[in-house]
Amino acid sequence: MKKYAFYPGCAPKGAAIESYISAKTVMDKLGIDYTEPVSFSCCGAGNVEEVKPYVALGINARNLAIAEKEERDIITICSTCYLELKKAKKQLTENERLKEEMNEILSETGLRYEGKVEVKLLHQVILDEYEEKISSMVTNKLKNLKVYPFYGCHTIRPRDIIGYDDPENPSSLERLIKLLGATPVSGARRILCCGFHASFSASEIAMKLTGLNLKEAHDMDADCVITPCPLCHLNMDANQKKALNTIKSQFIMPVLHVQQLIGLAIGLSPEEVALQKNVIPALYIV
Amino acid sequence: MAEAKKVILRISRFNPEFDEKPHFQDFEIEIPKGMTVLEALYFIKENIDPTLTFRGFCRSAICGSCSVKVNGHPKLACKTQIWQEIERFGTNILKIEPLGNMKVIRDLAVDFSEAEEKLKKVKPYLIPDPEVIPDTNDEESIVYPEEMEKFDKFTDCILCGTCYSMCPAVMFIDDYAGPFQFGRIFRFAEDPRDGLKKERSKIAYAFELWKCIRCERCADICPKHIHPVEAVTHLRAMSIEKGLTLNPGARHAIAFYKSVTSTGMLNEAILPIMSKGIKGVLENMPVALSFLLKGKMPPPIVKPIEDIEGFKKVVSLSAEVE
Ligand code: SF4
Ligand code: SF4
Ligand code: FES
Repeated sequence: MKKYAFYPGCAPKGAAIESYISAKTVMDKLGIDYTEPVSFSCCGAGNVEEVKPYVALGINARNLAIAEKEERDIITICSTCYLELKKAKKQLTENERLKEEMNEILSETGLRYEGKVEVKLLHQVILDEYEEKISSMVTNKLKNLKVYPFYGCHTIRPRDIIGYDDPENPSSLERLIKLLGATPVSGARRILCCGFHASFSASEIAMKLTGLNLKEAHDMDADCVITPCPLCHLNMDANQKKALNTIKSQFIMPVLHVQQLIGLAIGLSPEEVALQKNVIPALYIV
Repeated sequence: MAEAKKVILRISRFNPEFDEKPHFQDFEIEIPKGMTVLEALYFIKENIDPTLTFRGFCRSAICGSCSVKVNGHPKLACKTQIWQEIERFGTNILKIEPLGNMKVIRDLAVDFSEAEEKLKKVKPYLIPDPEVIPDTNDEESIVYPEEMEKFDKFTDCILCGTCYSMCPAVMFIDDYAGPFQFGRIFRFAEDPRDGLKKERSKIAYAFELWKCIRCERCADICPKHIHPVEAVTHLRAMSIEKGLTLNPGARHAIAFYKSVTSTGMLNEAILPIMSKGIKGVLENMPVALSFLLKGKMPPPIVKPIEDIEGFKKVVSLSAEVE
């Protein structure tokens, strides 16, 4: 088994605290070897780049170098962090000159980036390394649950940076749902955008996209939605009512972080995966 | 004999003289391994239905004329192999449709004029800088490799419209220039021979630069691996540098930047007011209340990360990188 440096990102430490809590209980239960370096910084979420592109690169080169120093790969629970870290990794791999320049900067703080560290999402680590273990732990509790897998943009795109799963017809979440003993219900919108990154600049579009995505899950008779991205979660859970208003629809659709569903399937209690902290009532599905 | 499979091409048909709206027609044909979507369309036109209308000229992924939607995803028909698509979707039916975000003229041919008009409006050509470009042809106008590196990728655009056809911002916002249009603006904004240079970000700003939702689809699907969304990001940075900050998107980016570079972490609690002022706070009130009820309000003061000094050093030195 590999060793990991846990990179939760900002949202799971704040408004999406339930994703942080559930990730830790799940990782502990599975025996994943992880540390949580206290010097990791925010990845910039694409916004730092919009002000100073090389600052975004610098801070992520630093994050990568911190994990490298600990000789660990990075495990994250946020798709945007995942993309930002992988984007920096690609830039540094493809441009030797830039890599040297960044290393000169990092050396001022006692760090160096060679390019050894891998970046993975939690569900990816679980599918790649813990599939067998999970299947031996599944309690059959989710037998009758129909789950809509919402991927989130930065989980699958762009393919030349992410390089995991097929961005046009992904299947990792479906595989995971089946592994947990539930039934996936996949609609075409599962790969589309929830609009999160335009929450301030084009909020009406963001809400409309979120509404349409939720509606597809509802129309397909899903009991709940899961997503690996805490930002998609925020739009689909906390903003659900507003999103549905924009498409003149009303219903209740529980939205779980991937690791909440994993936890429930392997015998953790709803409290242990902090299900009570989801804004849309979700406890009733179990 | 080459291996072959029977495949149903479910093609969208539309003839405005007879049809009110498009409908699908199935063509079942033998597809040898390696056959492209464009070759199959030519096969149908030559052997089954001469009225089938589509575009395709170079057949080498260079003219940009043949893009269509294959099972919902826009692609160059001449670059897309049918067997690979069948395997990807686990089906022997391939739906072939015209591009989205454009009016259909007939069958698979779409009207490109709106995208083209937008391109024209953003001044997609070099406006020579007299200080850099010599008066006569006797002297060369040099661009150094390090300069070229910054926009090189964007000169590969073949104007196929693939990115434009599925961009959600184009779909919802009339004045949004579009991914390849932003790519073109960026290409000249970085060109040292150009007279406008970073001023060009003002053109981008006027065409709803901040409405991109960063879905990364344009980056994912472009057959030339150009990432138009990267152009958007860089143009945003340039426009902020040029002082264009009276916009919730720009204010949000600046607030985010300040928060992260001062503590190493984002202060979620202050973003609404910093981005949209009181309006932002009011808009966010119901969500904030629901968080409060769930006991998960992000703290108003964020504790700096460990080694904040080292972090700040990285920030200030990276800010100097050109
Ligand atoms: S990233 Fe922006 S420009 Fe690209 S497709 Fe999405 S919304 Fe359009
Ligand atoms: S950026 Fe790519 S997808 Fe868009 S028009 Fe140019 S070549 Fe086509
Ligand atoms: S026919 Fe020219 S790009 Fe496909």
